[in-house]
Amino acid sequence: MPDVPVCKEIDLRGQICPSTLLTALRETNTNKTELRSGELKLVILTDNRNSTTHISESIGAMGYRVEVVKEQEYYRITIDRIS
Amino acid sequence: MSSIHLSMIAGGFLLGALAGFLMHRSDYCVAGMFRDLFLFRATRMLKTLLLLITVSLPLFELIRLTGFVSVPFPFFGPPSLTNLLGGFLFGIGMVLAGGCVVGTLYRLGAGSFPGLLAFLGLVAGSTLFAGLYPQWTHVSRALALPTKAVTLPQLLGLPSWLLVLLLVPVLVTLIWRWFRDGSLYRSGVVDGYLQPWQAALGLALLGGASVLLVGMPLGITTSYAKFGAMLLAPLAPEYYASLNYFQLVPLRYTPPLGGGLISGGPGFGLDAVALVQFPLILGIVAGSAWSAIRLGEWRLQIKLPWRQVISAVLGGIIMGLASRMAPACNIWHLFGGLPIFALQSFLFLAGLFPGAWLGGLLLTRLVIPR
Repeated sequence: MPDVPVCKEIDLRGQICPSTLLTALRETNTNKTELRSGELKLVILTDNRNSTTHISESIGAMGYRVEVVKEQEYYRITIDRIS
Repeated sequence: MSSIHLSMIAGGFLLGALAGFLMHRSDYCVAGMFRDLFLFRATRMLKTLLLLITVSLPLFELIRLTGFVSVPFPFFGPPSLTNLLGGFLFGIGMVLAGGCVVGTLYRLGAGSFPGLLAFLGLVAGSTLFAGLYPQWTHVSRALALPTKAVTLPQLLGLPSWLLVLLLVPVLVTLIWRWFRDGSLYRSGVVDGYLQPWQAALGLALLGGASVLLVGMPLGITTSYAKFGAMLLAPLAPEYYASLNYFQLVPLRYTPPLGGGLISGGPGFGLDAVALVQFPLILGIVAGSAWSAIRLGEWRLQIKLPWRQVISAVLGGIIMGLASRMAPACNIWHLFGGLPIFALQSFLFLAGLFPGAWLGGLLLTRLVIPR
């Protein structure tokens, strides 16, 4: 496992609901090998409150660590493996 | 304008503002509830909708028993298959738009660009309906059902309190189980999050307050046709005058607070529809905006993929058309119609499920490919 995982940032601010959740699920499933090995970290920027909650619930239930941090006017969701 | 009318305006704005605030904090998106049932097999939010209806059932019945308000509420009529068709189209539209009529309104208040596009689509769709109205009357006549009953108790010849008394304990038992197993709770990871079940309780109480204030539950869709009329009348006066739909006066009643008979319809002018619905619309936008500003989350971002632009506008247009066909929107039927056992609302709900399913399919195939 690399010391510093590659960070893939996806900006979904302002998008129609449920684009954020669908994109997060798609990216998580597409990159599951890299995410589980710790090579990759997904960072999603969203201003959709519902998707933020939904991502935390759904992707957390898939066995990933989901961290939500509030930034200026949006949320930064980080998805990576549970260390 | 009398003091009663001013009270209705101020009260309507306050109810709208509270509803907008609750909806924004909990993201109480009714379109999402139906969509996510099919897209993600998620039922948590739909369960809170059942809680809202369960609280509204005895609340509306108690208000009816006081004799202060007449039930069925104004605008409700005998059922027709147009309610089913309207519900189906509404289901497609609300999923494509990313929210229902009220959902797009509270998002618009919070600075959502897709919410603004859907709002414009709704006005366009409602106005388009006026042009289609002569043909629609033929469809409507062909799809009418052979009953004059407006509610299930009227159809069955039973008192409504008996149905409420039989149904509420069953629903309360079911909801209590959901409370106990935690399936009504969501992990609130966002700032200022309000649990949706709390919002559901609040919205049920606001629905009751609306019935006491204006004699009917929360409803706003006729105003979208009126917004269209207000744009069309000065721009194309002759065409506007030729549209029979804008001459209709479907609302004619005496509000519970008094002030005499008032009337209104979708046409140009500040009438009873404007009196009841405009303050509510402004209130929802203001309440949601206030909530978002307080959280430091108000932000208008214009950048949007073109597929989503088309989806929001088209979804709004379909919803606008459907809300005139149904007639009315999901909030009116689910929050206001189902608790009084309105037959139109049962048919609307029956159409809403397949509509939301098809909307979800279109959304994931054409707009946001998975």
